[in-house]
Amino acid sequence: MGLRMKPAVAGQENAVLNRQAKIKVKPFTKEAFVIRTTLISLVLLTVYGFFTFDYKDASLVGGTLSMLRNFGVMFFEPHFSHFTFWEAVYQVLITLGLAVLTTLLGGIAALLLGLLAAQNLTNKTVSNIVKGVIAFIRAVPTVLWVLIFAVAAGLGSVAAVIGMTFHSVGYLTKAYSESFEEMDNGIIEALKASGARWWQIIFQAVIPASIRYIVSWTFLRFEINFGVAVAMGAAAGAGGIGFDLFMASGFYFDLREVGTITYFILTVAILLEMTAMRIKKKLKTA
Amino acid sequence: MTALLEVKDVSKQYGSDTLALANISFSVKEGEFVSVIGPSGAGKSTLLRCINRMIDASSGTITFDGVNVPTLNKRELRRLRTKIGMIFQHYNLVNRLSVMENVLHGRLGFKSTVAGALGIYTEAEKQQAVEILSILGLSEQMYKRCDQLSGGQKQRVGIGRALLQNPKMLLCDEPIASLDPNASKIIMDHLQNISSSMGITVLINLHQVEIALKYSDRIIGVSRGEVVYNGSPDKMTNEDIVRIYGSEAETLMIDVGDKDVGDKNAG
Repeated sequence: MGLRMKPAVAGQENAVLNRQAKIKVKPFTKEAFVIRTTLISLVLLTVYGFFTFDYKDASLVGGTLSMLRNFGVMFFEPHFSHFTFWEAVYQVLITLGLAVLTTLLGGIAALLLGLLAAQNLTNKTVSNIVKGVIAFIRAVPTVLWVLIFAVAAGLGSVAAVIGMTFHSVGYLTKAYSESFEEMDNGIIEALKASGARWWQIIFQAVIPASIRYIVSWTFLRFEINFGVAVAMGAAAGAGGIGFDLFMASGFYFDLREVGTITYFILTVAILLEMTAMRIKKKLKTA
Repeated sequence: MTALLEVKDVSKQYGSDTLALANISFSVKEGEFVSVIGPSGAGKSTLLRCINRMIDASSGTITFDGVNVPTLNKRELRRLRTKIGMIFQHYNLVNRLSVMENVLHGRLGFKSTVAGALGIYTEAEKQQAVEILSILGLSEQMYKRCDQLSGGQKQRVGIGRALLQNPKMLLCDEPIASLDPNASKIIMDHLQNISSSMGITVLINLHQVEIALKYSDRIIGVSRGEVVYNGSPDKMTNEDIVRIYGSEAETLMIDVGDKDVGDKNAG
């Protein structure tokens, strides 16, 4: 018989072997069609784009080489010319301060709104209203909020704090309320059945049960806010290392100093990531 | 003994065409151990939750300890709930908190909002919690986190939390449905002990007919939202069991029914 296996049912062999067409592994569905069409049209658009770009006289090889040369200057020859090492550290601390402040303010407001937005803790109407408002706040990018508040507060740190807090509230409210909604409703039922009040249930059951999510979402937002704080220093004049970066690149055209600042930001980002991992580990076991 | 709980013509309608409970009437005396049995979806859980108004009944009257339950306002309802302890199939403990903290949650209904929210308990309350834990055999687990406990231990914590309310009645919603036979026996023995030695009324939903027959003073059989049996376990016959669980379950249930009811009759 060789490698051919004996079919379990007599008719089965014929049914498979008599087919002329190839056997499909996956049925061709509407979804597959949509996905394929999208991918193909994206590829076509990309190819079309390359043919119609205005390249001026830049050549691919020359351009890439000079970019790499610039990167080399940035990262291998960093120096201080407009500020000292300790001044840079101070500016990084200002940026961190901006991130801490906005995350903290946003977190406190979001905790309250998150409770109101969680459907298992309030009623449907309140939850939907809060969720709607929050979705609107989140849909507008952070930078835009800062610029909106700059109308009233003037471009600077005040507008940056208010704008970043605003967007943090939107982000964290959604994150918190979803972690509240994910918790076991039985716990809430049990405490309700024992005659406990709403605030008691919140502090004794809801927050302890979802503290892990609350901390990790808050820290994630803090990392985002640090990045945004750097950008706000440049775009909104909020001060900190971002402003130095803006001056070094856009004003002094000092690539070496841009490199120095990048190293500073990179260090902080790595430190934050390490802290986040440590906190998460502790929360899992403690 | 007087009736502690009086349920009269209680109905519960979900939407326009789902009738979960249809004119249910029964009463429970003080200190009685009453089991409610019936197939899944018969309305046992709904019935239990109507008593402490976790679910509002559509019509009918419920009198508990001389109080008309359906007309209570929010504040009075909280007072009523402190008098009724509740135990659940899935224990419903806060897993991240310690055994002690979970048991002390039973006192929340008696405390001011702030003291309860911050978890500030009096020495007397803590003392009672320690005593209850030792009765339930959990003294060694007192400071363990609840997610480190076994199912049986978790259910005992659930009982402890309910007992700390100093309740007049315990509502048990299938407390042993997720437990193995050993743990089930421990839990049922504790509940029986609570009923007989502390004089606390127990109203319990059960899936296991044998266990209901063994432990209860009285059995209430519920089928399709109606009471189809209400009487002592000794008088329960095969026909009663068929009536509770329906004809399609006949062959399956008669085995169980035969053996147990036979034993009871013989003894």
